[in-house]
This record gives sequence, C-alpha cells and structure tokens, in this order.
Amino acid sequence: MDDDIKIGVYVCHCGHNIADVIDVEDVAQRARKSGNVSVSRDYVYMCSSKGQNLIKQDIMQLGINRVVVAACSPRLYEQTFQNVLRESGLNPYLLQIANVREQCAWVHEAGLQATEKANRLVHGAIRRVSHHSPVEEQSVPVFPATLVIGGGIAGIQAALEIANSRHVVYLVEREPSIGGHMAQFDKTFPTLDCSACILTPKMNEVSRNPYIRLMTYSEVTDVSGYVGNFAVKVKRKARYIDEDKCVGCGICQEKCPWSTASEFDAGLGMRKAVYTPFPQAIPNIPVIDRERCVYFLKGKCRACEKVCEAQAINFEQEDMYIDLQVGSIIVATGFDVFDPTPIVQYGYGRLPNVFTSLEFERLCSPSGPTGGQLKLVSGRTPESVAIIHCVGSRDKNYNAYCSRVCCMHSLKYSHLFKEKTGGEVYQLYIDMRCAGKAYEEFYERVQGEHVHFIRGKLASIAAGVTDAEEDNLILTCEDTLLGNLINISVDMVVLCVALEPRHDTEQLSHILRLGRSHDGFFLERHPKLDPVATMSEGIFVVGCCQGPKDIPDTVAQASAASARALAMISKGKMEMGAITASVDEVVCSGCKVCNALCPYSAIFFDEISNVSRVNQVLCKGCNVCGAACPSGAISTRNFSTIQILAEIEGVLA
Amino acid sequence: MSFEPKIIAFLCNWCSYAGADLAGVSRSKCSPNVMSIRLMCSGGLEPAFVLKAFKEGADGVLVCGCNLGDCHYVDGNYKTLMRMTLLKKLVKQLGIEEERVRLQWVCASCAEDFVQAVNTITNDVKALGPYTQIKIEAEAETSRI
Amino acid sequence: MALITPFQEAAALVREAGGLELDQCYQCGLCTGSCPWNLVREFPVRKLIHQAQLGVIDFEAEYTWLCTTCRSCVQCCPRGVDIIDIMKAMRRVVAETGVSKVPDSLWLAVSNIAGSGNPLGQPAGQRGDWATPPTKKAKTDSGILYFPCCIPAYEPRLKKVAQATARILEAAGVDYKILPEVENCCGESVRKSGHENLFQSLAQKNMQAFSNAGINKIIVNSPHCYDTFKKEYTELGAEFKVIHIVQYLSQLIDEGKLKFSTEVKKKVTYHDSCYLARHNGIYDEPRHVLESIPGIEIVEMPDIKENTLCCGGGGGRIWMDTKKNERFSDLRLQQAKNVNAEVLALSCPYCMLNFEDSLIDFQGAVSMEIKDIVELVCEGIA
Repeated sequence: MDDDIKIGVYVCHCGHNIADVIDVEDVAQRARKSGNVSVSRDYVYMCSSKGQNLIKQDIMQLGINRVVVAACSPRLYEQTFQNVLRESGLNPYLLQIANVREQCAWVHEAGLQATEKANRLVHGAIRRVSHHSPVEEQSVPVFPATLVIGGGIAGIQAALEIANSRHVVYLVEREPSIGGHMAQFDKTFPTLDCSACILTPKMNEVSRNPYIRLMTYSEVTDVSGYVGNFAVKVKRKARYIDEDKCVGCGICQEKCPWSTASEFDAGLGMRKAVYTPFPQAIPNIPVIDRERCVYFLKGKCRACEKVCEAQAINFEQEDMYIDLQVGSIIVATGFDVFDPTPIVQYGYGRLPNVFTSLEFERLCSPSGPTGGQLKLVSGRTPESVAIIHCVGSRDKNYNAYCSRVCCMHSLKYSHLFKEKTGGEVYQLYIDMRCAGKAYEEFYERVQGEHVHFIRGKLASIAAGVTDAEEDNLILTCEDTLLGNLINISVDMVVLCVALEPRHDTEQLSHILRLGRSHDGFFLERHPKLDPVATMSEGIFVVGCCQGPKDIPDTVAQASAASARALAMISKGKMEMGAITASVDEVVCSGCKVCNALCPYSAIFFDEISNVSRVNQVLCKGCNVCGAACPSGAISTRNFSTIQILAEIEGVLA
Repeated sequence: MSFEPKIIAFLCNWCSYAGADLAGVSRSKCSPNVMSIRLMCSGGLEPAFVLKAFKEGADGVLVCGCNLGDCHYVDGNYKTLMRMTLLKKLVKQLGIEEERVRLQWVCASCAEDFVQAVNTITNDVKALGPYTQIKIEAEAETSRI
Repeated sequence: MALITPFQEAAALVREAGGLELDQCYQCGLCTGSCPWNLVREFPVRKLIHQAQLGVIDFEAEYTWLCTTCRSCVQCCPRGVDIIDIMKAMRRVVAETGVSKVPDSLWLAVSNIAGSGNPLGQPAGQRGDWATPPTKKAKTDSGILYFPCCIPAYEPRLKKVAQATARILEAAGVDYKILPEVENCCGESVRKSGHENLFQSLAQKNMQAFSNAGINKIIVNSPHCYDTFKKEYTELGAEFKVIHIVQYLSQLIDEGKLKFSTEVKKKVTYHDSCYLARHNGIYDEPRHVLESIPGIEIVEMPDIKENTLCCGGGGGRIWMDTKKNERFSDLRLQQAKNVNAEVLALSCPYCMLNFEDSLIDFQGAVSMEIKDIVELVCEGIA
C-alpha cells in the first residue's frame, strides 16, 4: 500500500447509543493495528464540535489524509464530516463512514458479536478509504419556481408564503376548486371561528396573487429531474368550459337538469352535472362532470350551452398536458376519511341517523344540505346525540395510529349540538387527548355545558324498539370508570372517523419517489429534526399527507416548507453529490453496451474516437453502466470497483 | 462453538440502505452475521462483487434493492433482477448453493422486510454450514469425472 | 356485569340541588386518593361523581352520608370542582324528594334543631344555663355577641369551654353579651346534610335576633359556626363581623389586654380543625396563642395546617355513628402520641366530642389530655 496514505480512524460512542452495545475502545484499538492507520481514537460524540475538532487537529498536525468515522448512518452525518475535511483543507471524498449505529448497535444485543461486526465494518472502511481519491463537486442552479401539489389549507398557505416573496408558484389541485377539507368544516376548534370565514380570504388571495399559477381540476402525472430542476407534467382535465369566457354567473348550474350526490356535502346534498363544488369556489368556474352529464352519456341535452350567454361551454375541450420546470416541490395532498361501513356493528349505511364526522360538519354548516339545521333523516330535530371517538383510529384492525384531531372536533360537535338543539350529548371516548394551545380549556368549557363523558369504546348500535314515535338508536358499551355495562338511547350518532392517507398515496409516492411510513403517510426525512423534508432532496411534505394533524400544525408546516423552498431559491444553486461515472477511454472497446442501459441517456458514443463518454450533468452515479461494462472501463466516482472490492476484502479479512 | 456465518449484504443507497437504517431507528433486532456494503443502486452491483465476497471467505451474500417500480434510478433494479437470475445460475455451477445468494427488495420504510431477509439468509446459511472453496474444487473434481 | 342506563332526570336533580360543577369533573380520582375515608374504609368519591353525572346514583347507599366535608379533595381538585357542593346536593335530593331515608341519628339531630333550636334536643330555655352564675345576659349595650355554639351551651364537657371563654373575655375586659333566649343553632350541619329549608329558616331567625339586639360582631367557639356565619349568612345579607375565639385571643394578646400569670408546663400539640385551617386558612393564630402561654412547649404532628387530618365530625357526621375502626380521630390520637404530646389542643367543639370519644378506647395514651385552646389560656391567666 501507498506509504503516503495516513488514515485517521474515529469511533463515536454516540453517548450510550453505540458504546453500550459495542466495545468502542476495542474497535479503536484494533483499527490502530491496520496498515496505513496513523491514528485511531474514540470519543463520546464525534459529531459535536469538540469531536469534529479532534479530526481537524489530526489532519492539520499529524498530516492525516484519509478519514474513517465509525458512527451513525452516512445518510445522517456524512455531510457534516465531509465539511470537517473540507474545512481542514482535505477533499471531502477522502472520507468513509462505517455505520455502527443504525446497522450495528441499534439492531444487535450488546456483546462480542456486535463488537466483532463493528470491527469488520471499520476494517472494510479502512481498506476502502485507502483507495479514495479527491473528487470535484458540482453544483446545479435552482430554478426559482415551486410546485405545490394540493390546494387545501396546507397548499394554500405554502403557495401564499412563496408567492408573497415574489417567486412563481404552481398550485395544482385535483378538485374543481381549492379549499380542501377545511372548506367543508363549519367551525374550527378551539376558538369556534367559522372555518369558511378564515379560509375564504386566503382562497381569494390565491386567486389574486400574480405569482400563483393556479391549476385546478388538474393532476401531476409525472416528475423527473432532481432538486433545483424538476420537470413536472400536469394533466389539466377538460372542464368543458372556456375559463377565459366564463363569468361565473352560475346559470348553467341552475338550468342543468341532471343531479347527483355532492362530494362536497359528503354525499348528503345534491349537485348538478355542471357544478362548482361550493358557492365560494376558487376559481368560480364550473366543470362539467363527464360521468354525470347526459350529453356525454347519451349524446343529448346541451341545456347549459343554450343558456350560457358568455358562450363558455365547450364540449370539444380535451385534457391537456402541461410541462413545468420547478426547483422544488411541496406535497400537500391531505387525507381521506375512513369509511366506517366495515365496522358492521356500528350500522353505518344501514341504520339511519348514524353519520360520520365529515357528514356532521356538513349538517352543521350554514352552506350545507340542511342550511345548518341539525335534522334527523325524518326531518325532526334530534334531542340527543352520541359522539363516538376513535372510529378506525387506535384500532389495529383498521389504523393503529391516533388521528389526533377527533377528540377536539368531537368537543366542538358537542358544543354545536348543544347550541343548535339544547339536547343531551354523550361522548364515548377511550382517552381524551386535548394537547394544544387552549385545547384543555376548551375541553373544560364543553364539560361545563353538561356534556356526558363516558369512558369506553362503543361496542354496538342497535335500532331501538319502535314506539308510537320514532326509531332511536341503542348504544352498548362498558363504562370503564364504573365497571358497568351501559345502554344509551339516542336519536343520532356521530362516528369520528380516522384520517387516512389519500387512496392514491402509493401512486403519488412512485411519481415523486417518496418513502412512506408504516401507516401509509409520506415519510419525513427525520421525525423530529427534519419533519417537512423528505429523503428526496427538494421535495417537502406538509399537512395531513405526512400524518394526521390539526389546522395550526398544518399551517406551521406549510410555512416551514415554504421557507425551505425559498432558502434554496435565494441561494440560487444546490451542491450536488459529485458521484458520477466516467469512461476510461483507453480501456473502452466501443461496444456500446452501456449506451442503452443508462436511464438518463447520459452516455453518448463518440464516433470519432470510437469510445463511449458520460455527460457529467446528466449522470446520477447509479453505476448500472459500470456493472455492465465488459471491459471494466467505466468507474463511478467514490463507488469504484476497486473501492468496493477493497471494502469486501476488509470486511471479510 | 456454533457456526457464525459471515454474510455480506449489498444495499442500494436509496431504499434498502434506508430500510436497514430504519430497522435500527425502530430498534428491531436482527442477526449480527450480516455486514452491509452501500452501493448507489443495486443495478450498479458488479457480479464480480458477489464472487469476490465468496472468495474472501463470505458464507452468503444478500442483495437488496428498491421495490420494482420504485428505483431511484428509474429501472436499475430490473437490471439487478436479470443479473441476479443469471448470477444464481453461475454460482450454482461454481458449486455454491443457491440459498447462499439471496435477492430481496427492501423499500425505505420496509425495515421489517430487511430484518426478515437478514434472519432468513443467516438461518439458511447456518443450515448449510460454512462455505469452503475446497468444496468448489471437490465438486469441480466430481463433475470432471 | 350490571347494566345501567343514564337517567338524566336524576342528574338534573343533583345539579338543581347545587351540584352545578358536577360536569367539570374529568374523573382523575384525586378526590378518592386524598379522601381520609380511604385510610380506614372504601369511599369511591370519583365513582359517586360519575354516577351523579349519569344520574345512576344509588341514593340508598351509605356513601351518600359519608362525606365529612373536610375539603381535602376540593383543595386539590385539578378541575376546581367543589365536591362538597355535590355531596350536599345528593343529600338534599334525598332529604327533599324522599327517594331514600335520612339516617336515623342524623334525622334525630335535625328534628331536635327544628324543634328546640339545638341538636341535642335540650330545652331552648336552658341554652343560657352554662353561664352560671348568670354572667352578662344581654345587660350591656355592647354590639359584641359571644355565640358559644349549641354543644358548649349544653354538653357537660363542652360547657367548660364556654365558661372558660366567658372568663377570659371578662379578664380582658371585653364588653360582650350573650343571647341564649333568642339564638338558635347556626344550621351548619343542617345544611350540609341536605336540609336546606330548615337552614334557611334558622338563618333568618338568627339574623333577625342578632339584628334586633344590635349585634355587629360575633365571637364564636366553633369553626363550623364561624364558616356558616361568615360565608353563608353573609351571602344571605348579614352584615355583622365574625371572629373565632382563637383569632380574638391572638388579637387580645398582641394588644396587651390579656396577661398570663401562671406557667402551664405542658407539651402541647395542636390539631387544626378542617373548618378553621382548610376552609378558612386560620392556622397561625392558634399557634400564636399557644406560644404566648408561658411554659407550653409546642410539638407538631405530621398532618398540619391546610393538610390537617379531619376528626370525622363535619358534614353532619358528628350526629351519625361511625364504626369503631373507622374513626379518623383514632388515627389522629396516634399521631399525637407519636410526637409525645401531653395535651392535644383543639379549637372546635366537634373535634372535642370525637377525640374525647376516641380517648376512651385509645390504648396506651390514657395520660393524654384533650383541651380546647381557651381552657389552656384560662389556666395561664389563673
């Protein structure tokens, strides 16, 4: 081996995390015996500034020119230690990290075997780093536009934050209007602000802001490229209405003879085949629902066309695909609500007057199907209601997680029910979770309104014996505070259903190459320290698509992600990993095997020299070409064949 | 002392390495016989790496990539799939039992899949016993006769 | 498992009877945990409240009558629920609707008060007999009334306390009067045991009598009278001032009007009564008075001041039977014995009755004396 190579090995205790499982001193000692290792140390926190200084000093004073750090995953702190090298005047790629925390200490019991494995990993890294050579870094410019997917409160907030700093935002929303679930809510806890009253001004701001390019009734179908420069394909579904001509007069909706259940009213009200989801829709331009429009189904009608004075109806419109270029992407696609039909003992869909929470929101809303009047199916005002917590949440049969907002919105429902009917309210809860500013106080307030809290999970709902009057609902559960089985007779039941990942989360995760956690929601980069970023550089997740959360938390996340996107724009460029492939033209036989393999078409054939070459900007360093090259002419920087082989030798030595 | 095999795992940087990290973050426990080597993409795995591992004394090799369709590099793992199919035939011919080489897709959030793959290959290899090159030569001898 | 069905009408009765804060309870159970009953027997306070919330109360259960209104639970309730109000309300429902029976002994005391103005059923005309020779039966024009409480007025042991009080007041030159002909029981235990109407009538009678006699300040021996006059009569419009004898003594000592001449060489521990300490925050004055008596050495028990241990006599319990091994006063005597006290000093007639009772059966502390603070003061000025 090269005599000039001087390796420094640094073994981190990570407090107790590593040191409790692995004999870190043994690892440091044995590393010292390897060839070319000039110094080997262990320290309680290598990533601390004191730990970093140890490395810096050795580089400066001992002339260390290769560094091995045995610590946590390189996915976490590789950049930190690369900076240490950089600041000490070494090329950052003369570093190799041995992952002895996530992939050793944390998955094994303390003892010899774990230490033995750590020794092997470190030894592999020592052998490998001997073959490292300096790599020059590249940077890419950041395109100063941002894509926001989803136009609920999260997307609206993110779009406004960015647009208000005068940068272009593309806001893509699947539905005909922005607003999301928040537009469907009546009041918001704990302040009981009218949801529409605080949301509509923001929606209007979106439509007015010249930096926001709003695309409703549209979906993202493809994303390629990388941080700083994503190429996005958006499908703009045909509205069959000319957006430039439509004046939003609403006459088409009025005259359309065909009705169907309104999605906005959670199926409780009706809408027309040509419709805006709700009166305050942004944009205030209807769409013609192809699935419901009789002209599309049977070839006859066109009533809307006849009444539209602006001549905005256009049955010939087709879906359009638009290509966008953006530097970063904020995903704000929200949630779906759990369908309680599978819990047959709750009778949803079978028993009248059993509603979901979202349906109850619409029943309470002045713009809802009953004009805000609480009515039973029969039209009578209910005299009592049972509000059931954790329907589809905290239940391993459906969703193991807590949906976080239900305790609070069920308190809100209690208040609204009392306000509107003065009737009896029963809350069937497992735990009351009211963590948030002024949330406990709201709980106390609602308790004071004579709401009955029964600790126990609802076992079943049965239709009551019919009196001369009307059917009621008989609920059975255990009152766990008394240790008694309890029967409650009520007129109405509200099932507080779980918040679930959108049904097409998986599809979108493929398009965006995002990870998902066990619960199906998008996975953040770090649960505590990087909650809005993802493993895909330049793509952020905010609001309920990352996990159930309330409006304040959603808005805070949206603002946080916007700050991240703006920071990238303001910097103007992103440093890229320098890991790319290159062809040794002397060895290359010109067989062209690699050319077709490259997923980015980064390899081209130089007809004059009769060799293949790699475009360094396009190449992303996967080494698919390198693995296939029959001559061994292609090598990927920092993942070269010789480096990997050395690592194999080291680990197994 | 019981036989403790040495097994090398090649993990792609984006899904399987992240999945293996997640196993640690979730404090799942798995057998300590498997040592991972990070690649950018499972499609960048040179068949020579697998053979080198056996040559250096490994008793088994685990290769992990993103789920099909989820490759960070579009379709690198399809190439892995094809190469591994061929490679398994090759190692068999070299007298290495097929069970010593395992391909497993592990997504970034599939810590349990990773743990399971690690434990499965460890158990399989333990059942087979140590891999020795003498065995190759012996079998090569047999096949010659 | 027994099946229950919420009965909102019953819950409404409790709320109307004063248990308005019922619904604030979030069932943490701290009340049960802090209730002295659970030192000696089961008393599921939290459960009772939840049953009341749902209207599934077993009015016939003994639980309805257990609460001593000692305020331990109210003092620590994280939701600030006045649990005493809820207990009172449940009793009131029983007393007023007849859904169940008021315990016999309690009923007797209440009937006596209704009939003769005192719970012991003694003739109203003998209310002033403690004051022999007749001291100052309303002879002065003073606006200060000494109201001894029914028990010191009639009960032989407690009469000594009333007499000692009178002696001290005279020694200090206080110009006061007594009104045995017109005064009635203050109605404290009447109200706590749910007999609201009787309480209202007693309060009106007393207020009228005091007003006719031109009273502007009342000195009381009982913390229960003190609390009732000060809070409940004031709510009903009374304008007189109320002062407990220990407060008054403390003042007289500070003003130099009360001079001690005799050493009382005793090791004394003071038992804070719930109604002085926990209900009204009065715990420095009695200690100040004791410290001022020459010769007295004060020792403290573990549960003192606002964390005092109830004697078991509040909330009408003084008129009800408490089983032998379920008496808090027994536990308290043990505490007093543990600190080697020779005298257990009190400032409440109910406490006196309970401790005298406990002492009879108390093993190994026969030498301990039970005295009211005024008796000790009296010894000091003799």
